[in-house]
Amino acid sequence: MSRRALLALAVVLAFLGGRLLLSRGVHPAPTVRARTDRATQPSSSGEPNPSASDAHPTPALPTTPAATREASAASESATPATPVPQDANGIPDVDPHKAFGSKSAPISMEVFSDFQCPACKTLFMTTNRQLLESYVSTGKVYLIHRDFPLPMHAHSVVAARYGRAAAQIGKFEQVEQVLFQNQEKWEQTGDVDGTVAGALSAAEMAKVRALVKGGTLDAAIDKDRKLGQMYNVSQTPTTVFHCKGQTYPYGGAMSFDTLKQFLDQLLSQK
Amino acid sequence: MMQSSPLNFRRAVIWIGRLVLGGIFVYAGISKLIFPNTHLWPMFVLRFSISVNLSSFAQQVESYKIISPEASQMVAHILPFVEIALGLLLLIGWRLRIWATAITGIMVGFLAVVTRAYLLHMDINCGCFGTPEKLTGWTVVRDSAFAALALVMTIFVFLEARQPHPWSAPEKASLISDH
Repeated sequence: MSRRALLALAVVLAFLGGRLLLSRGVHPAPTVRARTDRATQPSSSGEPNPSASDAHPTPALPTTPAATREASAASESATPATPVPQDANGIPDVDPHKAFGSKSAPISMEVFSDFQCPACKTLFMTTNRQLLESYVSTGKVYLIHRDFPLPMHAHSVVAARYGRAAAQIGKFEQVEQVLFQNQEKWEQTGDVDGTVAGALSAAEMAKVRALVKGGTLDAAIDKDRKLGQMYNVSQTPTTVFHCKGQTYPYGGAMSFDTLKQFLDQLLSQK
Repeated sequence: MMQSSPLNFRRAVIWIGRLVLGGIFVYAGISKLIFPNTHLWPMFVLRFSISVNLSSFAQQVESYKIISPEASQMVAHILPFVEIALGLLLLIGWRLRIWATAITGIMVGFLAVVTRAYLLHMDINCGCFGTPEKLTGWTVVRDSAFAALALVMTIFVFLEARQPHPWSAPEKASLISDH
């Protein structure tokens, strides 16, 4: 090998090595359950392990049914949310009104999304619609929507509040659709309220407005955001796949064909 | 014994240009393929990682609103490989005039596109590397510096090529001077 080729190889390897060291790693992240088990595991003396809980100080994720109930009761004081069940893949804090499909599905997908993000719109309008038809309705995938409003978007927190409020009256699907469909309009005007009003009746809209004005929704949005931070979510959309004890966080939009191939491979994995 | 190349200003600029631009092009291409999603194993997970990364890059290309979504997909699936190939060719130094010219052309193209987006106050990601990076004035400055380096390097490569190279033809050079 010539000197030039060796030099080229060395430069490329140096760049790649450096970047890989700075990145979050080359292996799938451990599951939420594994992380929380560590965080909540008591030490030999029966005391909670402070070093373990310090490792993941953000969301205190319940792992046992009793813990789930306790967390549910605690969260009810902050938000008038519905019960907090766990699915087959052990994902806590799931609002059933913001989740689609069977909780016992072999694959769970958490989509960290921002209503004002164009790539989230693309994912919702193209991929997720086909996903709902082909995988969610057939019981193969449990799809969970998570709020991850980015600070760079002026109206995304307001939109997330309306989405949450609509979820509490069982109208999340309609509001999600109208917000994404009209994203360019309300992004310019900031009229999230008017956009949501177009998808709901006057009575429903009154309930949504009351919930938004109540100011109790931010805690739930923050909970989702903290959960996203635990997965190192740095962009939207980020989809976290849970299957057979493995967790795969993926940043960016994806076509349905690509996703289909991946889901089929995940399902066929032993 | 082979005579070593005397280092002058032009050759120093060519070397710097080759190392900097070649390295950046290779890194930019590879980062678009394997960042931000770096799950490498098993093989179907790696394929999915690359597909998602290229889809995200296509979104960024489309956000410049210059070409159609289909053309953006095509560009996103070709450009990273072209960047890697051109970067490697520049580092290796084979047919330097051709590849230096190609890299200069691409850099000037990038600069034009980025400057247009900046002047139009487009709130988009630059798409320069694999990870999301907001397009700002700094992006324009950085691309201008790289384009200028590429241009100067290419001019110097052509100027150097007009003279006999001390590595490849020392005897020939001495024969010419004898006559």
